[in-house]
Amino acid sequence: MAYNNNRVSKWLISGPPLLYLILFFAIPTLIMAFAAFRFPGDYGGLLPLVGTNDAGATALLVNSENWRDYLTLENFGRFFDDPIYIELFVKSFWYAGITTLSCLVLAYPLAWLIARSPKKYRDLLVLLVILPFWSNFLIRVYAWMIILGPQGYLARAANGVLALFGVGPVQILFSHFAVIVVLVYVHLPFMVLPLYANLEKHDMNLLDAAQDLGANTWQRFWRITWPLSLPGVFAGAALVFIPALGMFAVPDLVGGTDGFMIGNLIKQQFLDSRDWPFGSVLSIMLTLAVLLLAAIAGWLGRGGKRDAL
Amino acid sequence: MKKLLLALLVAAGAAHAEDVLHLYNWNNYLAPETVKRFEAECKCKVVQDYYGAMEEMLAKLSAGAKGYDVVVPTGFAIPPLVKQNLVQPLDKAKLPNLKNVDAGFMNSPFDEGNKFSVPYAFTTTLVGYNDAKIKELGLDPASWAIIFDPAVLAKIKGKVTVLDDSRELFAAALMYNGFSANSTNPEEWAKAKETILKAKPFWAAFNTQSYIKELTLGNIWVAHGYSSDMFQANLDAKAAKRKFGIGYVLQKEGNTLSLDSVMVLKSAPRPDLAYKFINFMLDGKNSSELTNMIGSGNPNAASAQFVQPDIKKISAVFPDAEAKKKLVQLSALEGKPLRELNKLWTQVKTAKKK
Repeated sequence: MAYNNNRVSKWLISGPPLLYLILFFAIPTLIMAFAAFRFPGDYGGLLPLVGTNDAGATALLVNSENWRDYLTLENFGRFFDDPIYIELFVKSFWYAGITTLSCLVLAYPLAWLIARSPKKYRDLLVLLVILPFWSNFLIRVYAWMIILGPQGYLARAANGVLALFGVGPVQILFSHFAVIVVLVYVHLPFMVLPLYANLEKHDMNLLDAAQDLGANTWQRFWRITWPLSLPGVFAGAALVFIPALGMFAVPDLVGGTDGFMIGNLIKQQFLDSRDWPFGSVLSIMLTLAVLLLAAIAGWLGRGGKRDAL
Repeated sequence: MKKLLLALLVAAGAAHAEDVLHLYNWNNYLAPETVKRFEAECKCKVVQDYYGAMEEMLAKLSAGAKGYDVVVPTGFAIPPLVKQNLVQPLDKAKLPNLKNVDAGFMNSPFDEGNKFSVPYAFTTTLVGYNDAKIKELGLDPASWAIIFDPAVLAKIKGKVTVLDDSRELFAAALMYNGFSANSTNPEEWAKAKETILKAKPFWAAFNTQSYIKELTLGNIWVAHGYSSDMFQANLDAKAAKRKFGIGYVLQKEGNTLSLDSVMVLKSAPRPDLAYKFINFMLDGKNSSELTNMIGSGNPNAASAQFVQPDIKKISAVFPDAEAKKKLVQLSALEGKPLRELNKLWTQVKTAKKK
């Protein structure tokens, strides 16, 4: 009886989120996977499988003879036919990778400082990290457009310094650099928080013990703090890398003529080109690529932990 | 407290019983003053909902959105609305002011005989520019060369934006090459693509969202965009007391024209108010406010006498007969040509700077 009760309460607790995920994640993903094999409709969307037949009744239009008019592998073929799509994937992974690395380099010392600051200030400092979320994301990007724009102080100062060395003015807004800067800015808190959560829990006695055994500062960091913080690093990297990879608003707004990323291409299929099937193919490929990367990261993560022990 | 609740309930009930027209419209496409006067005349309320792109509007209505009375689509979006059975045929007896519409704008290929749609306002797609800079550099904005010719672009590198819109940009490149804006000939498309790729390294960005702001700040000197946006940019530059204005002219090779029409939805809760609104907007004086306040072109012949004389002089807003000959409406693209253009567009967007 007690066992049964336990099972019921387990289902009661996990049921609603599970149902939510099935309804709004699993089913849509399956619909998308199916859409990738279909043809686009005349006015966007998909070519309907159900409609009015010759007799005027509503019926299933697809049958064993004509299924080739309704289902196709062409959309996948198109992805592999032209190297530009793969190149765009590589470029987007590159952008997301640089963003993740920059976030890590910036966030690690910050998270470490917060974790080591007096307890009474920690909550305040964490609050300051998430403070930017209080204003809208697009407003913050538009603010960056003003900061990076040719009339902004940053560009004027940079170009003033460059002029001293006789180098012509550079354009900061509408460049690769602008995309990376804004991507790093937008995602930085997502790296700081998991790192902080991890670093805060470290046992200081370990570092003291290492010092007693003759380890210098660098050795203490590299042999103790860093391996112990790897779960935080991987969590932060995933939280930064994946959204950065799919981002389309930032390249759209600050990216210039060659800031285009995979997210922009997918958005273009659904909103401008009315080609849902190809958009679905691109989305599936992106999902697969991310899963592959997560598998590699997981494998590396296991390796990292073994080293720590 | 109870009294307050009661008062709120009564107020809510009153508002509910009121006559309300639901208008699904472009952003910034109807002056608040005009709305107020219509509300006074029809003794009803107008509730507006907005879209920023045709695809957004089509997606929402195709998915079954209900509750709107009137929608304002651009020409090429009319056939999808008609073919999907989303709009109702117009009863012209209820639209006595229809006679005011310039015959040149009636009977478009998108809705022959205007069974479903009535022309409302238009914009032209053209080049807007920082007048002080363009004069200083001695460039001619009246040709598409200003956004496509590398020799011209060398002087304004990084100071140009073009529309992030495959149809509009290819149309401009086609016209620059002397082809029809609506060509679907693969060879002509390839030429247009070549033109775009040669010019791309000189452009700052593909931009449909913020070129008004960039122009008025002076960050961008030349922008490919819509006439009503340039009108707005010029007003903004004046309001900010800039040392420059935003000029805009039609290009000698030709321009695209986006004619927006009003249509009554099949599911309209209040078709009676919809007709009242359309007839009201077809009145010359009311229609002229679209031009005077928003800067849109006006297909209404009776509005001309009410349009401010300085706006009348702008040929991009008030094209004369000669200029009208070079204005083309984009046709609806679907199926294979659309996918082909999509492919070219992706190549353009992903091509690396050389």
